[in-house]
Amino acid sequence: MKKKNMGAPIIMIAILIYLLIPLAVSIIYSLFEKWTRIVPEGFTLGNYVTLFTDQAFLACLGRTVVMCIIPIVLTVFTVLLALFVTTVYFPNLEKYVQIICMIPYTIQGVILSVSILSLYVASPTFLSNRVVMLFGAYCIIILPYIYQGIRNGMRAVNMPMLLEAAEMLGASKLYAFFKVIVPNILSAVIVSSLLAVGIIFGDYVLVRNLAGTSFQNMQIYLYQTMKSDSTKSSAVFVVIMMVTFVITAVVLFLKSREGRQHIQKRVKE
Amino acid sequence: MKNRKYVFLLALIPFLLIAFLYEIIPLAMVIINSFQPDAGGGFTLENYSTVFSKLLYRKAILNSIKISLLSSSAGIVIAFLGARAAHEHGGRLNSVFMTVLNMVSNFAGIPLAFAYMILLGNAGFMVNVGKEFGISALADYNLYTTNGMSLIYVYFQIPLSTLLLIPAFEGVRREWKEACTLLGGGRNVFWTRVGLPVLMPSILGTFSVLFANALAAYATAYALMMNNISLLPIQIAGCYTGEVKIRTGLGGALSVTMMVIMVIMIGITNRLSRQFQKGVVRK
Repeated sequence: MKKKNMGAPIIMIAILIYLLIPLAVSIIYSLFEKWTRIVPEGFTLGNYVTLFTDQAFLACLGRTVVMCIIPIVLTVFTVLLALFVTTVYFPNLEKYVQIICMIPYTIQGVILSVSILSLYVASPTFLSNRVVMLFGAYCIIILPYIYQGIRNGMRAVNMPMLLEAAEMLGASKLYAFFKVIVPNILSAVIVSSLLAVGIIFGDYVLVRNLAGTSFQNMQIYLYQTMKSDSTKSSAVFVVIMMVTFVITAVVLFLKSREGRQHIQKRVKE
Repeated sequence: MKNRKYVFLLALIPFLLIAFLYEIIPLAMVIINSFQPDAGGGFTLENYSTVFSKLLYRKAILNSIKISLLSSSAGIVIAFLGARAAHEHGGRLNSVFMTVLNMVSNFAGIPLAFAYMILLGNAGFMVNVGKEFGISALADYNLYTTNGMSLIYVYFQIPLSTLLLIPAFEGVRREWKEACTLLGGGRNVFWTRVGLPVLMPSILGTFSVLFANALAAYATAYALMMNNISLLPIQIAGCYTGEVKIRTGLGGALSVTMMVIMVIMIGITNRLSRQFQKGVVRK
């Protein structure tokens, strides 16, 4: 019995070490001037100081934030509308919405970006604008996550019953949907939006293929500094990882809180 | 009343607009382009014959399949061990384990490639350690090859696959383990005869997700080698963004090839997992 319990922690710790070593090494690297032997030399925070006073870097940060917000708001809103119509009025259309939403899972970044590029690059309209293309591609790439988040949220709140109750109290279905259902599934929407932020924040292939290196987001910035200055880029790396970790931590926190509420509800019942 | 219902179809328009403009029409065009010459118009299979006859593209296909299979296999084995450990061991370590897995699941692409360059690149930390202590496996590690790179692929497969597998282990019941022990079977007998077959559908499903994930991975390979490596995603992007003219026909054919490989993999894993589910029913 004792022996059985020893193996599991060893495996888990081994995996943890394997996963954390690249992170730890890069963080240490960003904090020292020189690391050519075993022991790093010259502790410094200079890399971070130069980074946060670099206008180009701050512009990248701002650009990335804008690139996250617009597609996510757009996708959440359109998926909410689509799911409202299909679940309330046309349940038989729902599977088509689902198929459309799940396709991006399998095609992923490279094919999506080149297909959009080749279709619109020669277009005489605003569709050929690189940033517009990028917005469109981001909307599609986050679609599966947003769809699943909202769909799961809707399943959890027993939507038909809530809508019926609201209607009996004199609300229209549309009003009831946005005033009753949406607030109830808000945490699901937030969680899936945050996952989407993580995806857009970590995107390189779409922005490179669609917008080129002229439109710098964080990943492109990292890639370019990587070519010239490895200590500075390790600071960029740390900033990127910090943002990603904060996003994941918030997602985990929201999910666990939701789970706890669920259990409490069940216990009360 | 009936008419009013159809008014609500209008609310589908924004969704359909985005989906058609940026998903359905572009994908359809890629498939159509793959059967047309670069200049457009007409029908040709020339692009496909180029893909399968030119050494560069054949090598790209083989390399991509190889690195995807290799990294997914390694990933699934580690994930199985990790998820089993998490299943057997509760408590604090388990929650640390889950948190770290979730945290690093977004650690991929350029940042991951960068971290590995610091770790195992030409003057990387591990390489220096290897030199200092005379460990040639580390000192002579070459990250800039398909084989060297597969270590990075394995890295990003681990969190994904472990997180996908852990829920499946909830289906392995304690009673089965007890029954197995009562019948004289040890831990290994339980896992090979009971645990693995029961989990096989989830394992295969996860494997196909991993395979697709590795096959489409672009940023990692590009960050390390730019366009100097023959992998399918790199070649596809090269057809559209290269300095030379855009080759939509060839790029389309390569894209379709990549999608077909994914579909074949999903088909194989689905078929295999049905075999295992059948076995469960028959029993």
